[in-house]
Amino acid sequence: MKRIWPAVMVLLLGACGVRPSGPADAGRAPTGVAPGVTLYFVDGHERLRPQLRRTGRLGTIPEALSLLLFGPGESGLHTEIASSSTMTVVVSTGPALIRLMVPLTIRDVTPLGIDQIVCTVLGVHVQGGGSRNTKVQVRFTLPTPESDRLRTCPLIR
Amino acid sequence: MTGRLWPRGLRARLLLTFVLVTVLGAAAAAWSSAGSASTALVTSTQRRLTESIAGQIGAITPQLTYPPDQDALDRLRAAVGPDTLVTYRNLRSADGADTGLVTAALRAAVRTRNRLVTQRISAGGRPWLLVGIPIEITGPDGARTPSGIEVYAVRDLTGVDRQIDGLAWSAAGTAALALPPAVLLALLAARSVLRPVRELRDTARRLAAGDLAARSPPQGADELAELTVTINEMAESVQTSMATMRRLQADARRFAADVSHELRTPLSTLTAVVEVLATATAGMEADARESAKLAITETHRLVRLVEDLMEVSRFDAGTARLRPEEVDVAGAVRDCLRARGWLDRVDLAAPEEVLLRLDRRRLDVIVANLVGNALRHGGPPVRVAVSVSPEQVRIEVTDGGPGLPEHVMPRVFDRFYKADAARARTPGSGLGLAIALENARLHGGDLTAGNTSGGGARFVLRLPRNLEDA
Repeated sequence: MKRIWPAVMVLLLGACGVRPSGPADAGRAPTGVAPGVTLYFVDGHERLRPQLRRTGRLGTIPEALSLLLFGPGESGLHTEIASSSTMTVVVSTGPALIRLMVPLTIRDVTPLGIDQIVCTVLGVHVQGGGSRNTKVQVRFTLPTPESDRLRTCPLIR
Repeated sequence: MTGRLWPRGLRARLLLTFVLVTVLGAAAAAWSSAGSASTALVTSTQRRLTESIAGQIGAITPQLTYPPDQDALDRLRAAVGPDTLVTYRNLRSADGADTGLVTAALRAAVRTRNRLVTQRISAGGRPWLLVGIPIEITGPDGARTPSGIEVYAVRDLTGVDRQIDGLAWSAAGTAALALPPAVLLALLAARSVLRPVRELRDTARRLAAGDLAARSPPQGADELAELTVTINEMAESVQTSMATMRRLQADARRFAADVSHELRTPLSTLTAVVEVLATATAGMEADARESAKLAITETHRLVRLVEDLMEVSRFDAGTARLRPEEVDVAGAVRDCLRARGWLDRVDLAAPEEVLLRLDRRRLDVIVANLVGNALRHGGPPVRVAVSVSPEQVRIEVTDGGPGLPEHVMPRVFDRFYKADAARARTPGSGLGLAIALENARLHGGDLTAGNTSGGGARFVLRLPRNLEDA
């Protein structure tokens, strides 16, 4: 009897400790690396076209928007966003909503121009591991009802 | 082995059982709760570590150049923390000696599953958590492809192990707390069972010792109380039948005493008549003389029988009185033999003078009976040997006959017992040995029957030397 008790204690304590295990699944892998950032411009048929800008990394949404506002360069595509002296965009990201404060008025952009902005932002968001169902709200500098719309990109569904 | 481990006493057994059951129950409960708590603890710690590492990686990946160079891998490793290994194709960035713990199974799982993989291992006596993280490339359309960058982090789980040990010890302590109440309860239960049992045992002992009035009061309405009632009933019925038996026995004895007493008066008359008849046999015819002699013999037998019966009745009634006097045993035995004319037929071996306080008449009855039996039923030579020891005087009567058969031995002192049914008409009353035994006992001595090595019967009378005056 006296020999059994220590054995029982050891068994009890031993069984309670951290036990080794085999490899176990623990969720989705992180993402976010990319050879560059995808910007959206408009071709001659008034259609949105993705353009990979090989920056070597994905970067942030303001960086992508800065590149977008800078223009398409020599590629046969054009932008429908009026050029602006300031390129600073304020971005606040919520759980299901990305809110942009662009240095533009509603007159500076066409609906396709707005889609350019929304698609570029959503592209960076999705490539960085975000949800594809996230909505984008583009707020313009002057008050307009367009500032309150929650938008999605027609190319990213 | 079992007898030594398993105590015999009811109290110890109850105690052990209670303690075992309680401790086992408490230990099982404590063990299971500590087990589930430890599982939850391990799971949550694992999830916290994994999520934090994945979060750190997710925060830095958009700033990493792709395809990565050594500098990018170093930055990624630094962001994740110490004990981290980052690989991309042939490039490798490692920090900390523990990264060698990463198993091949984990690497294989990371490559094939392309998901976060965790594994717990034990190395160097310490528990470790291995986290394998493949980094993916997500296209703008949401399609995911492996990037080839793999991050392995090694985290020490000793803290968790210590917490779990603490849980287990506190559980064991709780189980130990159940011990004193269990012992107390066991003692109470044992007492409630053992007290009636002990009372019953005492009662049974008193009954066995002859105290038929012994009873134990039943308490409560349990099985032990029923047992007590049953034992009381048993004692009651035994007592009743014993009383009935004693009364019947006493009645029988009184009847025998009354009968023998009543027979004495007519018998003395008959004796007188028979003696007159005896003097007149000379003038009778042969047939009549034969009948008269038979009547005389049978009358004498009847007288002896009645006398013996009266003697036995006195023993039974406890009215037999010992009249001790200083007697020379050897002389008394010789006188006894001489008075009956047996001296020339009996070998007497006796020391010169053995003085003893005893009832001379009763010694004479015993010796006469033993020697008479030996002469009548046994064969010559009949020997009487008197020997003395400091405690007692032995008188041994042996004969050279066939001895006592085995089945007769235990009943030889019974009243009216005849070893041979065909010998029913012997001159003895059938009470001689019984009376001899009673006489020996009256002296505080004993009379035993047996056989000699030569085959003859041997009766030994032992009389103590320190007889106190009755």
